[in-house]
Amino acid sequence: MDFEQSPDHFVGTARVGGRGAPKKAPVPVKIIVAGGFGVGKTTTVGAISEISPLTTEAEMTSESVGIDNPGQATMKTTTTIAMDFGVLTIDQTLKLYIFGTPGQSRFAFMWDDLIKGALGALVVVDTARIDDCYPAVDYFERAGLPFVVGVNTFNGQMNYSLEEVRWALAVRDDVPVLSFDARFRASVRDALLVVLDQALDKAIRARST
Amino acid sequence: MTYSDPDDPAPPARPSVRPFLQSGPSSVGGYRPTPSGEPPADDQATTLRPFVITSGRTDGADPEIGMETQVTVNHAATPMRLSPEMRAIVALCGDPLSVAEISARLRLHLGVTRILVGDLRAAGQLDVHVLDNETPDPETIMRVIRGLRAIT
Repeated sequence: MDFEQSPDHFVGTARVGGRGAPKKAPVPVKIIVAGGFGVGKTTTVGAISEISPLTTEAEMTSESVGIDNPGQATMKTTTTIAMDFGVLTIDQTLKLYIFGTPGQSRFAFMWDDLIKGALGALVVVDTARIDDCYPAVDYFERAGLPFVVGVNTFNGQMNYSLEEVRWALAVRDDVPVLSFDARFRASVRDALLVVLDQALDKAIRARST
Repeated sequence: MTYSDPDDPAPPARPSVRPFLQSGPSSVGGYRPTPSGEPPADDQATTLRPFVITSGRTDGADPEIGMETQVTVNHAATPMRLSPEMRAIVALCGDPLSVAEISARLRLHLGVTRILVGDLRAAGQLDVHVLDNETPDPETIMRVIRGLRAIT
């Protein structure tokens, strides 16, 4: 335990209080929790956050990827979305933010602000609706952000094995596919640890080159 | 204005789940948008439309200011006349706070918050703690891993 130096100083025998040295701001790091509608992103954020998840409104620029009209030129639209996030204080100088991104099926979201500086992402998957997470997987692959596919077993069952999920998503072999329960803190923690493991690999690779 | 994903699966009552996870209008932690797409008019911190607060600007937020960027009051700043929204931001930032938390607590749009924080920084009222290196280094990631392992 480090003891901070007292801001007080002494004039003769009198102790003069410091002016309340400004608190040093912690370093923020962030992890993205992504996935389709209703797969349990908010539950995931809430399970690990030390505060009740907060909601903020943000503008998101979406680019239609032309699933419906493959021949058409892409169209950019701006949507206001609500985003949930939570905080976990690692220590006095380090804070982990967990941002849950809204799922936008049929939109490849271009949310470069969000992933800027992010450690990595957890893509939450519901096996009943696997294709809901395609946009998120596509996006993180293109952005080069380390990500992990987490199958949420909140209903206590999985319709497909993890191998089948991996096959359906066609993610690279080095992308972990795991199952977790978004309701339980320890389960979410372990899933995030796998994300951090990927982030650490990437950071070490980046340093050695 | 539409909320395309309130992301509110409305879980059935489960006693084992922490109370705030059973989200609803009365849940703590700020407002949640109504799925109908109607902005909750009475629930806004301000009734002004966003571009009024930002003097007409809709973009131009400093790209250095991210959602997780920490903000603190500059105690040495000379007092100046500020808009109510700006005063509210300054009042919140006695302890370091992220831009996203400011936005959520004041129910200000994130883009609006970023612009106002940038203005307050330019006016010397706020310190914005921009990180030197954008991507976290392995040592920082190791600290997050150790800290996360320690929680139960």
